[in-house]
Amino acid sequence: VSDRVRGAVRLDDERERSLGEHLSSVWAPPPGALGFFTAVNHRVVGLRFMVTAFVFFLLAGLLAVAVRLQLSLPLLDVLSPEAYNQAFTMHGSTMMFLFVIPFLEGLAIYLVPLMIGAREMAFPRLNAFGYWVFLVAGVGLYVAYLSGHAPDAGWYNYPPLSGPGYSPGPNVDFWVVLITFLEVSALVAAVEIVVTILKQRAPGMSLTRMPVFVWAMLITALMIVFAMPALILTSTMLGLDRMMGTHFFNVAAGGDPFLWQHLFWFFGHPDVYILLLPGIGAISMIIPTFARRPLAGYTLVVASMVILGMLSFGVWVHHMYTVGLALVGLNFFAAASMLITIPSSIQIIAWITTIWKGRIEVMTTAMLFALAFIVLFILGGITGIMIAAVPFNWQVHDTHFIVAHFHYTMVGGTIFPIFAAIYYWFPKMTGRVLDERLGRWHFWLFLVGFNVTFLLMHVTGLEGMPRRTYTYLPDLGWSALNMISTVGTFIMGAGVFVLLWNVWWSWRVGPVAPPSPWHGRTLEWTTTSPPANYNFLHVPLVGARGSSGEADRGDAADDGGDRPRWLQALSEGRGGRRENIVTDVLAAEPEGRVVLPKPSPWPFWTAMALSIAFVGALWTPYLVPVGLALTFVALVGWHWPSGTGAPDEPADDELTDRLTGLKAPIVWGVVLLVAIEGTVLALLVMSAFYLRLGAEAWPPQGMATPELATSTLRQGLLVASALPAWMGVRGFLRGDRRRFLLGLAVGLVLAGGYLVLGGFEYTDRAHGWDTHVFGSLDWLMGVYAAFHVVVLMLAAATLGSFVHRGARGAGYLPAAQGLLVYWVFVALGSVLLHGAWHFLARW
Amino acid sequence: MSRWLGLPGYAGLGLLLAGCGGQQSILGASSPAASHIESLWWISLASTGVLSTLVFLALGYAVIQARRAAMEERAEDADHGGEGRVILIVGALIPTVFLVGFLTLAVRTGSVVSAPDETPERTIEVIGHMFWWEIRYPDAGVVTANELRIPVGEPVAIHVSSADVIHSFWVPQLGPGKIDMVPGRTNVTWLLADEPGEYRGQCTEFCGVQHALMSLLVIASPPEEFEAWLERRTDPPPVPTDVERRRGLFLFSDRGCDACHAIADVAPAEGMGMAGPNLDDLASRRTLGALRVENTPENLAQWIANPHDFKPGVRMPATELEDEDLEALVSYLRGLEP
Repeated sequence: VSDRVRGAVRLDDERERSLGEHLSSVWAPPPGALGFFTAVNHRVVGLRFMVTAFVFFLLAGLLAVAVRLQLSLPLLDVLSPEAYNQAFTMHGSTMMFLFVIPFLEGLAIYLVPLMIGAREMAFPRLNAFGYWVFLVAGVGLYVAYLSGHAPDAGWYNYPPLSGPGYSPGPNVDFWVVLITFLEVSALVAAVEIVVTILKQRAPGMSLTRMPVFVWAMLITALMIVFAMPALILTSTMLGLDRMMGTHFFNVAAGGDPFLWQHLFWFFGHPDVYILLLPGIGAISMIIPTFARRPLAGYTLVVASMVILGMLSFGVWVHHMYTVGLALVGLNFFAAASMLITIPSSIQIIAWITTIWKGRIEVMTTAMLFALAFIVLFILGGITGIMIAAVPFNWQVHDTHFIVAHFHYTMVGGTIFPIFAAIYYWFPKMTGRVLDERLGRWHFWLFLVGFNVTFLLMHVTGLEGMPRRTYTYLPDLGWSALNMISTVGTFIMGAGVFVLLWNVWWSWRVGPVAPPSPWHGRTLEWTTTSPPANYNFLHVPLVGARGSSGEADRGDAADDGGDRPRWLQALSEGRGGRRENIVTDVLAAEPEGRVVLPKPSPWPFWTAMALSIAFVGALWTPYLVPVGLALTFVALVGWHWPSGTGAPDEPADDELTDRLTGLKAPIVWGVVLLVAIEGTVLALLVMSAFYLRLGAEAWPPQGMATPELATSTLRQGLLVASALPAWMGVRGFLRGDRRRFLLGLAVGLVLAGGYLVLGGFEYTDRAHGWDTHVFGSLDWLMGVYAAFHVVVLMLAAATLGSFVHRGARGAGYLPAAQGLLVYWVFVALGSVLLHGAWHFLARW
Repeated sequence: MSRWLGLPGYAGLGLLLAGCGGQQSILGASSPAASHIESLWWISLASTGVLSTLVFLALGYAVIQARRAAMEERAEDADHGGEGRVILIVGALIPTVFLVGFLTLAVRTGSVVSAPDETPERTIEVIGHMFWWEIRYPDAGVVTANELRIPVGEPVAIHVSSADVIHSFWVPQLGPGKIDMVPGRTNVTWLLADEPGEYRGQCTEFCGVQHALMSLLVIASPPEEFEAWLERRTDPPPVPTDVERRRGLFLFSDRGCDACHAIADVAPAEGMGMAGPNLDDLASRRTLGALRVENTPENLAQWIANPHDFKPGVRMPATELEDEDLEALVSYLRGLEP
């Protein structure tokens, strides 16, 4: 930590107590029933995510039991074929989308601020918003299930089966709409996690001192940022095919079902590592704590996670070995898939080394789950190597061998770490320790049940039993194997019941937890269990790496010790504001402080308004603009200037309130938004290339090459509009508000010209979006660009009016800079779409 | 302890696998390609088994060591030097060496099995439908369904495509694995049976409500027998002569069966008779409903009356027929034998 840490004031105990009371009232979640809808505190939201996700886990577990019962004997009639197809689709979709990702995001939302010494996430309201979106999407999916219209085309929804021709009912619509909606939640949480980790770490916690779990969540969140857009794009295309009559996946009109497979697995394979990495991070915290020593090979483990994250984007074709692609290409993906073994084994050896050279004083349930995780992860890993081999995959693809393989990686690799995490962090979250005796019952029942269910399932697959089949004939010799698997499911289920009982019992009457029941050495253990509303009375200073258990506790928890004056001022919650320190990305040197928003009902209303747009699409596309308009209204309410912004008067200490550029968290937020939308855009352009390369003629016979002049003119207008906006923001930086408003106004007029000309251009089109995939692409690209311009204009107009009212003055500077970043992205994005489209049409 | 669970697991797995090899088993290879892949499986099981057992032993030893260190109250070893090197060597070097070998084997096996040694002389087209297989011998102009006849001892090229959604063609004992049947595309694979006999195939891409019971019977017979069958099949099925069968033929069109099912001379106007299996040789088929039930008069009658008894959700509707009409129809259909 730099010189600024020196020069300190000393506090006495009385002052400490009154400070605590004051901070507690500043950071208190709002009380009462109304408060339930307005709370934004990260620990409240994180717990909600985890509890809700766990309910979905139980529901998906019940579906698994139903599936196993149906398969326990041949030709059973426990579930009809339709009910079975809904059950396995819902089981997979729930586990992937409604349980593991939200649960781990909830865990991160709860723990990351505590581990990095922050009082709150970077965007608390966005956090609350993400939860409501998740809740609506998840509940919606189960309403669909109860109404008998659950999705039934698999969690991977391959067209044409999932297309309008072969799944005409509302079932797949529910999946398309609600899963796309749900990804909004995953994405906002990801943005939130990245910005919090990069900008709000306690002073001194440089990247190299970050706990491994925080590293894992940083990488995971970045992977979500780049992977989820593929799912959003492709499920939007499927939704348009189904509801608007476009042809993205319709072979008869130039579409291609393989486009879905590429985009889906471009999301789907990274998704597997999105599920896995947080577990790896959690295990890397738990093992060192119980082995009573730092993690061996910290740098190697972190580097392995980064490499895993990157490799996972280059292996999606191993889900497509049987579709008929050239063998040379497949071998490339086989090699890439096998490479994943190397970072994985580095991590495994690092854990083993940690244990080898450590001292396990008590074999806790958390540690048992961690050890079992290592074993199961290896077993899932070796079958993973096998199925990466192209010819073996040709045989076992879509058999129960694969079902067994991915349950070893997914249950072994994510659910075992989740259980370990529950036992490990439950005391921190509730102030009570889970019962260890019940914990052991839970562990052994679940471990035995899991292996009984899935170990022999490898054999079932080798014996030729395909996946996603509601029944089988008696003479195939699969009956005994299936019966054993079903029995195992019930043993697993019993284990989960023990966990539920343990949680219920321990939460009420379990032993009270001290701040650090396991003698963990990262920052979350330096505060009370459960933490006070404000997490840390004093912003901690980090002198050494927390992750490997070396947190310099003298520095981290020196209540009443020598504190720098600026840090002290931050601790006092001036004027009832919720403040957090902002540090720089690499070394966590203090840069300034942000004022975080207070509780608000608007995140809830925004989520409801957006729900109208998404869920309304199930009835009529016309509800989409209505919902989006309401969303805009709610967003204005959300951002309405309140009195709690950054103070205009300079603070009486050395820490600035005026953060601009990349020092400001909001600018990072916009950069990540641009990363998300830029990925969608890039994938859309690639999809256009893919479809064009697969077409015989482009434009197809009878369709006109789009006219270039108007289109180019309006691109010019849009690019030009960024210029006055840029000049305006520069004026704003110098304190010239009028210049900013003028720049925005000129920019808005030019961007408006883009939209008007675009209107003329598209009304002139001889083809609709439903004539051929050529038309579908043309319209989607045009509407995508125009939609962004509309969003940009609304944001600019809103910000302009806020600045005009003068409510917060210079407090809007980083927002203005963020707007400019987005402006440039929208302009360049439109030019790229336009350029690619005309290039393809003339090539 | 959890660390020991892997070991009996392997032993048990090995024992169980040794007794495998059912009609649809990957471990019951009856062709060169399937045998190559089966060997690849055994090699990968053995090699990864050895490697992972070593890791499990290390993990077990580590836990014992750490427990002992705690009991003996040994002080923490503050010297962490060299750990990174150990992790890199064990964690990166060993798997790299193994992977290079395994990948080489996998790539070689892939190129060996992806195409037969000699170019196949015969091409058979298999078209996936929800939820049955249309089988065409283009050279002979023969069309049949759900039973794929091939000659023993020679490779046969299989061209697959789909009439509706994506299916996947898989005969585990005879081919190099699966190949997807995709609308708008033709994919190519091959089969070769070492021995005459009956083998089972299965759709392995989820294709809708009756995906589970979309199976295929592959009948490999000596070349001369196969040729004789193909020759017989080029003739149209016999025209019924007796009264009952003629009434069955009348009912076949009267009740609209011919809207979906073609029978050579009865085949209706262009565009019709394509949605369901061709019935030219129905009487000679072993099974009904893509291997769902044995092809007996009783089962056939029940199938016509209500196929959903056997395969709920298939596209063929139930047909209401008087008992005697049903008998006449069955009697006509039972005469369709080349």
